[in-house]
Amino acid sequence: MVRVLIESTGEQREFRALKSVTQLLNRLGLKSTEVLVIRGRELLTPDRMIGHEGEIRIRHVVSRG
Amino acid sequence: MKCRRCSELAQVRLPSHHTGFCAPCFETYFLRQVERGIHEHKQFSKEDRVLLAVSGGKDSLGLLLALTRLGYDITALHIDLGIPVSSQGARATVEAYCAAHSIKLHVLETAEKGLPIPEVKKRVNRPICSVCGKIKRHWFNRFAYENGYDVLATGHNLDDEVARLFANTLRWDQAYLAGQGPVSPAEGKFVRKVKPLCRLTEYETAVWCFLNGIEHVLAACPYSAGASFTGHKKLLADLEERSPGMKMQFYEHFLQRGKPAFQAVRAEAPPLNECARCGYPSSMEVCGVCRIKDQLEA
Ligand SMILES: [Zn+2]
Ligand SMILES: [Zn+2]
Repeated sequence: MVRVLIESTGEQREFRALKSVTQLLNRLGLKSTEVLVIRGRELLTPDRMIGHEGEIRIRHVVSRG
Repeated sequence: MKCRRCSELAQVRLPSHHTGFCAPCFETYFLRQVERGIHEHKQFSKEDRVLLAVSGGKDSLGLLLALTRLGYDITALHIDLGIPVSSQGARATVEAYCAAHSIKLHVLETAEKGLPIPEVKKRVNRPICSVCGKIKRHWFNRFAYENGYDVLATGHNLDDEVARLFANTLRWDQAYLAGQGPVSPAEGKFVRKVKPLCRLTEYETAVWCFLNGIEHVLAACPYSAGASFTGHKKLLADLEERSPGMKMQFYEHFLQRGKPAFQAVRAEAPPLNECARCGYPSSMEVCGVCRIKDQLEA
């Protein structure tokens, strides 16, 4: 299972498998320059592969307020 | 994708520059863009005493780190608005950051100046964000002027500037269009204002903060039901996705071609008065901030 945490809302999503970061962004309806895609201490570019397991954090970049 | 500079695995893709960077090369790129913004627009030099307005958000703290790394003489100023929970969090974040990096910090409390924001919100019938912004701008400038700083810097980034430019253009607001840009020259009791992040997007400052482990405030102000220009930023992000680099072009072409035309029109505008109460610039006899104070005291 790939576990995805959306930091701004605290929402958790699970995916059985994800080909790439681009696929994840499409599933979440996000643009690549709208969020940081974080795995561990690393940022993932849209072309990176994800696969069947792991934990990913999504951090929105727009400053609010 | 690979880093354009060193061919290692990239962590950041920048469509507007048709490129990608690994973490260390992105940091080099980021600092160069800050330096370039400062030089291109003659914002300030190593000899100037710079006061930086720090809110605790990613842009101002990220800029604080960048300017310190680049060797500028920086003092941070944080304005504590006295809003329950959110102001305490922001202040603690800024204080911890400045203590950890040995950065000079001043904290100014609006409540001490007779302007606690929760009270202001109760008494004033206008949107609180615009009132709060007015109060902050007044005190940032006044503190810089009274304490002899050469420039006042803020963490506004390219997205902020482009969203504001777009809003001003939709209204063809000549006065604002004449005045907008990464440098506002000193005039009377206005100190020079600069925006060193004018070449960097919100995405880029977020990356910079992440790579440097900067703990910044994430929560929005409880009084702002969607910060200014959020809708415009969405529209512009769609445009940017279709034509990468468009935001930077819109802004730079405005600075080169649009702004001079508006400045010529505005040259005939009457000079600002000084507020009868506080002595700071105002278009009316009593400035906006002193009028809010009057309302609270009434
Ligand atoms: Zn590199
Ligand atoms: Zn006044």
